[in-house]
Amino acid sequence: MNAVVYAISEAWRSMWRRRGASLMAVLTASASLFVLGLLLLAGTSASRLLERWSAAAEFSVFLADGATPTERAAIERTLGSSGLVAGQAFVPAEEALRRFSRQFPDLAAAVASLPANPLPASYDVQLRPELARDPSVGRLAAQLRQQAGVSDVRYDRRWIERLLRLVGAARTAGLALVAVLTLAACLTIAGVVRLALHARRAEIEIMQLVGAPLAYIRGPFVLEGTLLGLTGAVVAFGVLVGVYLLGRDPIVAWAAGLVAAGDVRFLPLGVALSLVGGGAAIGCVGGLLAARTAR
Amino acid sequence: MYTRGVYALRDLTLTIGKGDFVFLTGPSGAGKSTLLRLLLRQDVPSAGHLIVGGRSLSKMSASQVQTYRRSVGFVFQDFKLIPTRTVYENITFVPRVLGQPVAVQRRKAFQVLKWVGLQHRLNAFPEELSGGEQQRVAVARALINDPALVLADEPTGNLDPDLALEIMNLFRDINARGTTVLVATHDRELIRRVGKQTVTLEHGLLVEDA
Ligand SMILES: Nc1ncnc2c1ncn2[C@@H]1O[C@H](COP(=O)(O)OP(=O)(O)O)[C@@H](O)[C@H]1O
Ligand SMILES: [Mg+2]
Repeated sequence: MNAVVYAISEAWRSMWRRRGASLMAVLTASASLFVLGLLLLAGTSASRLLERWSAAAEFSVFLADGATPTERAAIERTLGSSGLVAGQAFVPAEEALRRFSRQFPDLAAAVASLPANPLPASYDVQLRPELARDPSVGRLAAQLRQQAGVSDVRYDRRWIERLLRLVGAARTAGLALVAVLTLAACLTIAGVVRLALHARRAEIEIMQLVGAPLAYIRGPFVLEGTLLGLTGAVVAFGVLVGVYLLGRDPIVAWAAGLVAAGDVRFLPLGVALSLVGGGAAIGCVGGLLAARTAR
Repeated sequence: MYTRGVYALRDLTLTIGKGDFVFLTGPSGAGKSTLLRLLLRQDVPSAGHLIVGGRSLSKMSASQVQTYRRSVGFVFQDFKLIPTRTVYENITFVPRVLGQPVAVQRRKAFQVLKWVGLQHRLNAFPEELSGGEQQRVAVARALINDPALVLADEPTGNLDPDLALEIMNLFRDINARGTTVLVATHDRELIRRVGKQTVTLEHGLLVEDA
């Protein structure tokens, strides 16, 4: 208990004495944690968006003219037993025509003048969001194409997959950046703590000579590192909240139609807390690195 | 033994009784500081044993060294006061880093400050004190934990003769209360004026014990 009180008062004294260096360490730590937070925020938003887009990605089964009710029942069975389908709706040819006319009013008259409805009946299939990117969806499409009564299956995933690869690459680059920044923050804090250690080598010598426990000798320095990291994390967190609140609406407005307000959400509480805890941990490691030399 | 076969002390057999006051003297480089460093367990001998209070210093674990050092007070020629702390903070620093309660720190600090006659300077910083006053603060710090053994390496090396005698009188008082005192000094005149048992070293050899 006394060791903790001692460490707190000495760490505070030391940070205040070298407030310029302390500020620098806090800012380095907060910069790296801010970038980390931003990447997490962008990452979770992007995957939420992709999930929604994947689920909405059209999986349509077009029926051949004159598909029999038996064939339709077989198609429904294939869809139902695949385990990939959240819902399916039968769209009769007349309904398909109505939709087409609504979407392209300019062409409606031309189509209506045709002797027969050129649009086939189809099933609009909704995939289960969590399985929408599963390779088995491709196999289901292939299986359906073979089935009697099916004229075509439209399942275009190429653009989604390209997007996924892009997001994956961005994530890797982001992680590398975060690793470098984390290391930089840790070493900056270690450097500042080493400075404090150097400034107090006379005290450390006295402590050693009077037989002070190691906790008293190293404690203040480890705590100093931890507090620097923690403060950096809190600053980063505050800036992140600010950026989120200011940036959310403009982004949703800018990408109207593609990005919904619900896609851009703040980090879940657990992630936010680990971000702050991570800052403290980075600082603690920095403090330990520096204090290791004092025994 | 230091690097490359330099022996700072050789064939030294010396027994100091509990409660003794002993001067350690000899020319510069004789090995006085080395012996005190060994006794504070800052170094271990390459051969031989040091037994203090029935325990061998070379066989101690790190935590036993800590415990041992808590019973030893030390005073150096350069005082080793912490420049950024006041007299009071310098003195309470010892009980504080040993985890003693604030009330105990305060009581002990006032006791030793009064004893060395510096109770009116407790808020001064070391640089605001004279050399003699600084060394009295160092002595107060060495005494605050009621040590069984006090080691002093040239404690009066930076002081003029009258102040030196004043410091020696403090050591005599400590000794009178049962603490073993070992003072290294090359100042024969001072030893003559204090008049205590004297051990003389030369080139690491014991040449006289009188
Ligand atoms: N760290 C060291 N490395 C090598 N030799 C040393 C070291 N410290 C002291 N010595 C040598 O040990 C001998 C004794 O030194 P010391 O104990 O300081 O003598 P004194 O205190 O009596 O003047 C000297 O010859 C000195 O040069
Ligand atoms: Mg010496």
